[in-house]
Amino acid sequence: MSSMTKRSTPSDKLAALSACMARVAEDRDKSAFAKLFDHYAPQIRSYSLAREPGSDLVADELVQEVMTRVWLKASSYNPSLANLNTWIFTLARNCRIDYLRRNSRYATEIDPTDMFNEMEDEGPDPFQLAQQSRVEESIKEGLKQLPREQSEILTKVYLEGKSHQQASDELKLPLGTVKSRVRLALKKLEVLVVR
Amino acid sequence: MSKSTTHPYEELLAAYSAGSLPLSQALCISAHLEHCEPCAQKLARLNRVGSELMQQLKPSGASVELKNRLLDSLDSLTVDDISEQHQVSTDPSVPRCLHQFIDGGYDDLPWKRVSSDIQSVELCRDNNGAKVELLKIKPGGSATTHTHLGDEYTVILEGSFSDEAGVYREGDFMVRGKDDQHTPVATQDRDCICLAVTEGPVQFTGLFSRMLNPLIRRDYA
Repeated sequence: MSSMTKRSTPSDKLAALSACMARVAEDRDKSAFAKLFDHYAPQIRSYSLAREPGSDLVADELVQEVMTRVWLKASSYNPSLANLNTWIFTLARNCRIDYLRRNSRYATEIDPTDMFNEMEDEGPDPFQLAQQSRVEESIKEGLKQLPREQSEILTKVYLEGKSHQQASDELKLPLGTVKSRVRLALKKLEVLVVR
Repeated sequence: MSKSTTHPYEELLAAYSAGSLPLSQALCISAHLEHCEPCAQKLARLNRVGSELMQQLKPSGASVELKNRLLDSLDSLTVDDISEQHQVSTDPSVPRCLHQFIDGGYDDLPWKRVSSDIQSVELCRDNNGAKVELLKIKPGGSATTHTHLGDEYTVILEGSFSDEAGVYREGDFMVRGKDDQHTPVATQDRDCICLAVTEGPVQFTGLFSRMLNPLIRRDYA
């Protein structure tokens, strides 16, 4: 590599990963799969550890569950509906929900499999998609500029998997304050604007 | 897709996207999303928020051994290796998230009489004790004035009803707190079928039906 090589930006990286994903889907390319593993496995581990600090075994199991699905469901991934990072997030979230359900002290009779199936839905039309992708770019920038008290709540809810009540207990804040901080954060991120 | 007029609060949708909502409540959100394109769009963006937050975490190195083991097993992986069982109802009007409980149509379910106007069928219990059931209110029928000991989440699956606060149609989602007294009345044209999740027992407040309360509460013991 020449020292003149431009440093790769996050969107270059995502484009390279998406190309790997396409090779996995179309050619069942294992070296492309290995690249996806190298990139996403550490993220998935951190996601698991955010909820269960110190549980390396649980984290490895989540990696295995998610990456197994990446291989098996590659052909159902539709890049026009969600970018690859978001698809991986939803897989990791779904696997974590399922893991918690199977290992809960109190059994639930509810199977989450067909509840979180955004990808299989018919997508919005191309016009909506173009708008969607603009909004999504603003989410990324917006997250960097959120006040700490708001990003802290989003972290609790999304990464640590806390309910609003749990977040309220841990942060010693009234439940209403937790909910309004979530709402304020989402408003700033322009998540809630429907066009 | 119907035009829902009442939707989940943003923070509830965010908790669904984050996967931190009890599954019983998530069932209601999921049923609503099948009817509501604006909320489905919001959800896509909320998922993106989760994805960005995940990427901001400091990556935590994965084991080479795990990678090699997985790579070696790729050829032999089958869908049986992932714990997903998709169940399909023969009736396409049943929301997908409920197919796990409903094989055919609503008519084939073992409905039980609650009052002259209402029938119900319990689908399951969540691990927080919440009861997940379908309610069927006959045309023009009234679901006796009631309050709840916990929150009640409702999604209309078929038909429509009105209460003190307005008219609700297919796909509409609502939460009633434990202090809200309300008297839903189904519209005249057809049965109204709702998915209802109650976190605590329903309290009937009418003079006669108050006598039903001890019976109902026993259900939750």
